Amino acid sequence: MFKTNPLRTWLTILGMGVGVGAVVVLVGLGFGLQQIILEQIVFGDSLLWLGVSSTGAQGPKLTPETVQQFERIEAVVDAAPLARFPALITYQGLTGNVFVQGVEPPYLRFAGVTASFGEVFGEEDIADTNSVMLSPATLKLFGIADEDSESFIGERIALRLLVPADDGSEDVNEIIIDKEYTVRGITKEAGVLNAMMMLPELRNYVGIEEYERIQVNVVDNENLPLVEEALIEQGFRVTALSKTVEQASQIFQGIQAVLATFGGIALVVSAIGMFNTMTVTLLERTKEIGIMRTIGASPNDVKYLFVSESIVVGFLGGISGILMGVGFGIAVNVFLNIVAGQFGGQAVSLFAFPLDFLAFIAIFSAGVGYLTGIFPARRASSLNPLDAIRYE
Amino acid sequence: MAKPFIVARDLSIIYNQGKSNEFRALTGVNTDIFEGEYIILFGPSGCGKSTLMYSIQGSLPPGEGTLLVKGDDVYSYPPSERVYFQRHVMGIIFQSFNLIMSLSVLDNVALPMIFCNADKATRNRRAQSLLDRFGVGHVSHKIPAMLSGGQQQRVSVARSMVNDPKILLADEPTGNLDSVSTQQVMDKIDEINTFDRRTIIMVSHNAAHLSYAHRVYYLKDGRIMREVVNPQRKQIKPVREGETITTELEQLARLYPYDSVESWRVKSMVNFLTQDYTFDQIGRLEHSVDLFLQGRIDRASFIKSLILTKERGGVEVPEKEARRMAGVVEKVVDTADDIRRFRAHRDNDAIFFTQDKLADRLKEHLTKQHCITLSKQQEANMTELIADRVTGVVKEADLNERLMKGVRSKGLALSEPEADDMTRYFEKVIAQGVDVSYK
Repeated sequence: MFKTNPLRTWLTILGMGVGVGAVVVLVGLGFGLQQIILEQIVFGDSLLWLGVSSTGAQGPKLTPETVQQFERIEAVVDAAPLARFPALITYQGLTGNVFVQGVEPPYLRFAGVTASFGEVFGEEDIADTNSVMLSPATLKLFGIADEDSESFIGERIALRLLVPADDGSEDVNEIIIDKEYTVRGITKEAGVLNAMMMLPELRNYVGIEEYERIQVNVVDNENLPLVEEALIEQGFRVTALSKTVEQASQIFQGIQAVLATFGGIALVVSAIGMFNTMTVTLLERTKEIGIMRTIGASPNDVKYLFVSESIVVGFLGGISGILMGVGFGIAVNVFLNIVAGQFGGQAVSLFAFPLDFLAFIAIFSAGVGYLTGIFPARRASSLNPLDAIRYE
Repeated sequence: MAKPFIVARDLSIIYNQGKSNEFRALTGVNTDIFEGEYIILFGPSGCGKSTLMYSIQGSLPPGEGTLLVKGDDVYSYPPSERVYFQRHVMGIIFQSFNLIMSLSVLDNVALPMIFCNADKATRNRRAQSLLDRFGVGHVSHKIPAMLSGGQQQRVSVARSMVNDPKILLADEPTGNLDSVSTQQVMDKIDEINTFDRRTIIMVSHNAAHLSYAHRVYYLKDGRIMREVVNPQRKQIKPVREGETITTELEQLARLYPYDSVESWRVKSMVNFLTQDYTFDQIGRLEHSVDLFLQGRIDRASFIKSLILTKERGGVEVPEKEARRMAGVVEKVVDTADDIRRFRAHRDNDAIFFTQDKLADRLKEHLTKQHCITLSKQQEANMTELIADRVTGVVKEADLNERLMKGVRSKGLALSEPEADDMTRYFEKVIAQGVDVSYK
């Protein structure tokens, strides 16, 4: 068939390739988007962490004892608390409202806090009493533009904590911290006004009876749902990053299904085209089939011949589609990266092509080839050889 | 007694059975074909000869009756097993070659072996050796379209032999070929029969091929009308004494294959009444005269071939008679040359002889031949008459008439026997000398 009518055969392969290419591009886009989002969510081993917070006034409170209690659970490796108080921040005479967060270094690691400029608190900084990290929004309070954020490192700020009164009234006690802190880093947390310092330093000024949040590190994936369930039973609200990831994955599977449907339509069109070609080829080669039958080919030989040819065509179509689709995706990725580089943005890969997906597509297109070939092949094998040989 | 290889009993093949366009292609056919026989199925188109062949091949199930190949009813097997017969027992060649145009010659020949799962090296080796044998080994890498018809047919003969079948079926293998290629292909098929001892079943309507076969089945309207045994070949089918005798009719069947039995009987009788020689002798005489007229043998060889005994391939005539025949032939041929020259001058002007001179010479020859003396006026009339006849102005009957007419009316005033004699002789000369080929 490659010899008798090479042009038509290659056009069929190309048609099949375009269909497969459409599927590859669209599903690749789905994979790419999923990957981008997940990259933003997932940091290192933070998937093994549960965020525990109080359900409200009725629920149990998160106290230092709770932390110890959590640490005693068998599957829990570590628990890191976060305390939070409203505060006033002053920089060069300007004052604004922020939240002061008291944390221990593990919390930062497991909550995925990273610095866009400067340094994050490390394990050795547990006793640090002089530095804070600010969220980018805090800088806006002082009229610092984004591009000048870096120069803010090393500036000094003053804090006044606003602590609720012990007596249960609505009053607030203002605790003035009589020293200035050095800004050691700017976090990436967008949309919140936060100043982060070490928990021991915060304790120097207020007695902490209740934590805002506790991050619980679970030993492995299997135990994650068990611990989560146990904590929920105790009346805490638990959020798990793995859950978020799961939900995101589900959403993206939906998106991929939609994209694949569109690609699938293109694939169906090209499969019908291929079916048509195989049928025409059958008519054209009727005489040839007759010859082969009379010189000793069995009906099964003829069927095998047709099916194998259509599988080859389908498979080559799949391969060319993969080449086209992946080529297109990579080209777009490179183009986007160049554009992003030009405009100072972050490079992203809009398309992603997992290998097992491509392998599936190749096998799938061979399967489509088989399906389009089997019916003409059956007809070919059931032809009467004498009628076939007289066919012109 | 050897058992027949292929047996058909009351075989009928009906196309579109039960439908309004039902057609009986074969009716009540009985054949016994023995291993190693060369059988020709002969008849006009539509007589069912191809149908019979394809039925033996295994592609057309019989409607009624039985067909046994090697004692097996091929059609009782499932199609997948029937294929075994088509692969290993039957080889087939077609009128239209039916090579696959997209494959090389070598691949075409090797193709039947692919279906038998032979490995590539074996396939190619066998295919190439067969192509070499049939004289087309040097074109094995070409595609069939680049070959002449004769070469293509020899390729397809090679293809039919590649699985070493017991039976070679040929459906008018020379129908699309020129005479030279036809000869080559027929010789190769004959070689397969005589040398490889394969059974050949050939469908043909070319009477010239009948002499190759052991036996010829004459078919007409779906029935076998006669079976003719070729007396020139040693029969494989056992002939029971007295049941069938070889007669002159078989010989006439080969000479006049399209005539009916009645007309052969007439011919046999007329031959006896008018000629001293048998059909056999006439056949050999024709062959010798043919060679002599073409100038491929000289006078001495011609005479020798006439004198030789039948056993040694001669005509077996007395020496005196042979010399007379040689003389007559030579004389007629010589005179015919003048006719040829005369007619050639019609178009271009005389170079060596004028037409008058040639007519004059023909006149001299005729008068000498018939020992007549003529007056001057008669001679002039005769020269003119010869010129008229040779140029085609007068017909044979007119010539005869004018020979008898009076001198005044431009005749020769010959007697009727004289005139008839001269007319007959001159017509023979003209027949030799006139170029009838199409220009």
